[in-house]
Amino acid sequence: MTHGSHALLAWIPFLDPLYSAYDWWPLLIVPLCFGIAMIYKAYRLPTLDRYWRQVVLMTVQALFAFAGLAAALFLLVQVIVPMLPAE
Amino acid sequence: MTSNRDESLGFHPLSMALAWLWPGLGHIARGERQRGILIMSGVLFLFLGGLLIGGIDAVDRREDALWFVAQAGCGPIAFVADMGNTALLKNGPPESMVSTPVGAASTNKGGKVSKRKALAHVNEFGTLYIALAGLMNAVIVLDAGFRRSRTTGSSAA
Repeated sequence: MTHGSHALLAWIPFLDPLYSAYDWWPLLIVPLCFGIAMIYKAYRLPTLDRYWRQVVLMTVQALFAFAGLAAALFLLVQVIVPMLPAE
Repeated sequence: MTSNRDESLGFHPLSMALAWLWPGLGHIARGERQRGILIMSGVLFLFLGGLLIGGIDAVDRREDALWFVAQAGCGPIAFVADMGNTALLKNGPPESMVSTPVGAASTNKGGKVSKRKALAHVNEFGTLYIALAGLMNAVIVLDAGFRRSRTTGSSAA
């Protein structure tokens, strides 16, 4: 039995941290955006007819915004800043 | 004019108190049952998600006092989680030690850590989930207290 599977067997949900998430933690942004959209749209929409559609739309928009910001920062730090003169 | 506006806005301190005591209860008390249930689902989704990711270590009034200010917006459930942290993590029996997870190795390379202790990004995300649930619920509390009644608003228009 590997150490990882041993840790998983001993894992108690809601008491112990999710060990496996150390490997894929960036993906945790997806349910975070979904949860925020659930709450925001629940109190903000005048009618709840298209609630889930609006929640999914806001989640996707937020994730695209994060991806765009990440790409812009990558360009700034990795491409533009190294091109600047040292002095 | 002003009196009509005040009537349509209304102020419901009881709804605000209920919204803080249990997420969504304020809207349910004001007759918006479906909205209240959806708010409850959203706040509990983030709160339980944070506990699932970061464990009981995600709510810590002593070590993460500033984060707990935001988390307290969730209501008594945040205080219960903090009591659980104190009882199980701080004052509980010593838990078995596990090797520091690879993803968090920079903080404790090759070392051992209590299996209840969250490290690095897992701890941050768990704390963040519950803090955002608390901040969103603070907005919900205000909305429950000052929400413009749609029936009143439409009749006024």
